[in-house]
Amino acid sequence: MTVTIDPAIASTAAAPVPDGPPVIETRGLTKRYKSVVALDALDLTVPSTAIGLLGANGAGKTTLIKLLLGLIRPDGGDAVVLGRDTRTEAVAIRAAVGYMPEGDCLPADATAADFVAHMAEVSGLPPRAARQRAADVLYQVGLDEARYRAIKGFSTGMKQRVKLAQAIVHDPRLVFLDEPTNGMDPQGRDEMLALIVRIQRLLGIAVVLSSHILDDIERVCRYVVILDGGRLVASQPLAGMDPGGGDLYVRVDGDPAAFLARLHALGVDAAPAGEAHGRDEIVVRRNGHDAFDAVRDAAADLGLPLRQLRAQTRSLEDLYFGNVEAANRERR
Amino acid sequence: MSLPVPTAPDARYGEVYDRGYGHYEGTRRGRLQGVWALARWSMARALGLKKGWGSKVIPILLYVGALLPVVAVIGITAFVPAADVFGYADYFGGIFLLEGIFVATIAPEMMSPDRREGVLPLYFSRPISRPDYVVAKLVAAAILTLSISLLPATILWLGRQLLADAPLDAMRDNLGDLGRIAVAGGLIALYLGAIGLLISSFTGRKGVAVGVIVLGFLISEALSGALTFALAEQGTLTDWVALLSPTRTSAGLVEGLWPTIEGPEFGTFVSFPLWAIGAAMVAVVAVCCAVMFGRYAGRD
Repeated sequence: MTVTIDPAIASTAAAPVPDGPPVIETRGLTKRYKSVVALDALDLTVPSTAIGLLGANGAGKTTLIKLLLGLIRPDGGDAVVLGRDTRTEAVAIRAAVGYMPEGDCLPADATAADFVAHMAEVSGLPPRAARQRAADVLYQVGLDEARYRAIKGFSTGMKQRVKLAQAIVHDPRLVFLDEPTNGMDPQGRDEMLALIVRIQRLLGIAVVLSSHILDDIERVCRYVVILDGGRLVASQPLAGMDPGGGDLYVRVDGDPAAFLARLHALGVDAAPAGEAHGRDEIVVRRNGHDAFDAVRDAAADLGLPLRQLRAQTRSLEDLYFGNVEAANRERR
Repeated sequence: MSLPVPTAPDARYGEVYDRGYGHYEGTRRGRLQGVWALARWSMARALGLKKGWGSKVIPILLYVGALLPVVAVIGITAFVPAADVFGYADYFGGIFLLEGIFVATIAPEMMSPDRREGVLPLYFSRPISRPDYVVAKLVAAAILTLSISLLPATILWLGRQLLADAPLDAMRDNLGDLGRIAVAGGLIALYLGAIGLLISSFTGRKGVAVGVIVLGFLISEALSGALTFALAEQGTLTDWVALLSPTRTSAGLVEGLWPTIEGPEFGTFVSFPLWAIGAAMVAVVAVCCAVMFGRYAGRD
């Protein structure tokens, strides 16, 4: 089955992060496994939106999720989820959040309808309401016709849908999805991402999408948290990283030095782009002022025709590698 | 054939409804609901409910095996009131093996798949604690083992009283037997159930758990028997080693509750006082629970 996205919700990263109280706050959150520091003094505040938790394997993503669910205790620092302390109110937090683990977690010989209804009951829903919710949510994830079949006969994509269904059946305010597209084919992956976008945008459920796949996060999330080696290397909205949002690379027909001097005179942060870009290319930093207007004015003042005006593409990949490399340099 | 009638106020037949997922505004119950839901689910899966017939056969046969003697005794007593059919002690002695097989069947089914199939992280991410999980499994195991231990014996007692010339008087006169049935049935069920659950909590493979439970009972029986005869001259030491055997311990409990006229035959059961045997069984249940709680406690 193909899941279509409402055009109104199709745009993701470009959308601004909504205001409101943060869903997750950590202060100095630290977790060690013997001599290995899994999380190192994590300070984090993230808004109620689709949040991407990005990092390589072993970066500390799953440890962070377990700490936020109150499943393990931190060695230092505090974490607050939905306004509740994970040390003292873990059960109350787990009543209001959903969790989709990365690995296999489904009983093979149960039907999807029975298992999802059972998980709703374990979350406190009365039996009749649990069955109704299970039917609704399985319909929503595209398993309406298969819900009375044993899970052992399901494909990987169908199992991932059941995992998502059990994570949202009790109507959580926040849902943790750990590598939700693992093992899925391209079409299944598209459909899963569309479902995640739908539950966040249409139902207002905050989503933490843990993944090492940059594209998944770029397509779904509005905010990104990047971990590397247990350390926080970035926590910021994705809104500023839409294609073409980077510095400007400019060439003029004429003297580039005079053009550069004029840009400086207009108060613009500009410099030669370097050998790699060619001798006459100038890079104009877009740090606050309107760089396009400044380039236009400088060219008009000197009467120089513009030969090139190119905005650098800044992707999540740039952000990820830039920050991780910077963090590694700092550590060395 | 009647057609389904739409129930929405302004509905027309054939109208398509939006069944989309929405927010849940209904009642939310507390942790007890979660624990009870988990216990019910565990019982249903252990009995093979909502599974293929292959999963149901063994529990059904075991229930039939436990109830058949009861039905036979009640039937014989109904037609031949003077017949000397077996008593409660004989019944508990007779079905002990059956209870052992029942525990070896249901306990692994309750514990092992959760571990093997990775369902534990899902449960622990719900609003129940890790000790709640163990409590739910213990409740489920206790209810099922009681259903094969206590229930048939209670039916046997009730049948006997109803077949008496004055049923109400018979019930009043034999209330002591009912109490003894509750103690024997309850203690043996909890004792075997706790041991079975503990063993099953250590492996994700049902076959391994079943094998270890069965072998464990056989080996403990053989070891206990060998030591009892080897230490025959050592007085109460033989009773201590007899406690290693679940069969002899349970037999000792039954002998304490319904003493035989000729007294216990040497080596067949523990001959400690009744309260001591009961305390030993309760201690085994407590140790099994403590180990399970420790095993499932959060690992930091």
